[in-house]
Amino acid sequence: MSNSHSDTIPLHPSSQSDIDEIENLINASVQSGPATVLPARPPSPPRASIPVSSSPFIQSKIPPPPPQSSSSSNHKVPSVPAAPPPPPPVGNSSSIVATGFGPPSNTLTEPVWDTVKRDLSRIVSNLKLVVFPNPYREDPGKALRDWDLWGPFFFIVFLGLTLSWSASVKKSEVFAVAFALLAAGAIILTLNVLLLGGHIIFFQSLSLLGYCLFPLDIGALICLLKDNVIIKMIVVSVTLAWSSWAAYPFMSSAVNPRRKALALYPVFLMYVSVGFLIIAID
Amino acid sequence: MDESSYWNHPTSHLLGSVPAVVNEESEASYGRRGGGGRGYQTLGPPTEGFDQQSQNNWKGVFSISSYTQYFDVDTDVVVNRLISSFYPAGGDFFNKIGANPDLYGLIWITTTLVFMLAAFGNCATYLIQKRTDRTTSWSFDVGYVNAAACGIYGYSLVVPVAFYFLLRYLGSNASLVRFLCMWGYSLSIFIPTAFLLLIPVEILRWIIILIAGTASSCFVTLNLTSYIGGSNDLRMMMIAAFLLQMALAIFIKAWFFP
Repeated sequence: MSNSHSDTIPLHPSSQSDIDEIENLINASVQSGPATVLPARPPSPPRASIPVSSSPFIQSKIPPPPPQSSSSSNHKVPSVPAAPPPPPPVGNSSSIVATGFGPPSNTLTEPVWDTVKRDLSRIVSNLKLVVFPNPYREDPGKALRDWDLWGPFFFIVFLGLTLSWSASVKKSEVFAVAFALLAAGAIILTLNVLLLGGHIIFFQSLSLLGYCLFPLDIGALICLLKDNVIIKMIVVSVTLAWSSWAAYPFMSSAVNPRRKALALYPVFLMYVSVGFLIIAID
Repeated sequence: MDESSYWNHPTSHLLGSVPAVVNEESEASYGRRGGGGRGYQTLGPPTEGFDQQSQNNWKGVFSISSYTQYFDVDTDVVVNRLISSFYPAGGDFFNKIGANPDLYGLIWITTTLVFMLAAFGNCATYLIQKRTDRTTSWSFDVGYVNAAACGIYGYSLVVPVAFYFLLRYLGSNASLVRFLCMWGYSLSIFIPTAFLLLIPVEILRWIIILIAGTASSCFVTLNLTSYIGGSNDLRMMMIAAFLLQMALAIFIKAWFFP
């Protein structure tokens, strides 16, 4: 149903942006939010046969529901002021996100693949900033300005699944323990820094701690495939050191230098316990 | 001028009356309503102070800034307190805490202990089974994590709270945060003990845990005695504290290092 929109995409991108411009003007004049363009809402025949510009007249009488509820894309609306303005520097701007408009309303009408591609590229770029050596690492403010929570979510679930897969008994309990440990651990670590008087943004810190799990994910995957204890210990130690090195600059710069060890010790504890879980699960 | 009188000397209206936080709040709120719009606006910064006082009952629970006072310690202070908790002899832990009790020690010592018990408990169980039966293979029991978390967190929260309420009921002054702090640091001696209990000799394990349990219990009892002032009817409390700590030590040995 939502794909009926594809029937109305013209061949030339500039005419689509014109149609969007008209659409926005109509929406603005009828004094409803830009989210009234809901592809899923109206019955499909009028949308398929009539060009896009006339259907908003029908829709705008309906009070717009919150955009997240029926949006066909999985675009997450950032609610923290730390989020950058919507056209991210790394996103592949699809043909619909015209540079003059900026507001995320246009992303509601884009194909799902565009949204997914944009989120994936953001995950990759965040990963490159946090986990791999790059010149921006020393400045935490610049490092994760475009934070998101999809990456950490994928990494935590992947780690839980890998551990659960390599366990021979009590698989669901292993997944529960791993997931709870990582999720609660990230929140508690962030609260710890805030309580020690440090200055971080809550979700940015959650995002960073999730991204720093990426090396441990690789370690868990290797340990799943190779079952030798010695190799497991070596792999886990290396990935543990890598994770700690990734998280160190961010955490240590967030607090008073006299309390640096107090803020870093729990991070180390959490990664060591996850590493032990990886080695010990058989 | 109005706001300076509210901000600097709120109790000047209360000369001769028994000062209480309640009076101060109601005085401030009356003043605020009386001042009308002008008073409300000019009382911008002082309002925050009064807000914190009037909200100390329940809203402060949900904001982080009301808890930062319990985490106002530096690395060297925490290390100092940790090392002093290893020596059960001196009963001066509460003096050392002074006006700055911290909950950082409680939270992270208990968390470390949970992890150590789960990890080393599994290793030690494996080692003991290996001695008796050569063919056992390594298996990681995740239930140890649950048991350790419930046991350690439950003990370190319930026992200080219970002692606080009991001692308040019996009339002596007690401070909940200081009790939580002391009991938290008293558990720190079990962390190297958990490491030592890996040795698969049963007699040695019992000796180690008894020594550690005694040290920890003495630490708790001596500090409790010196804080409250030993009087006869409170002696039961001290003995109860001693026995509870010993019971925790025995539980650690029996459950995680059988």
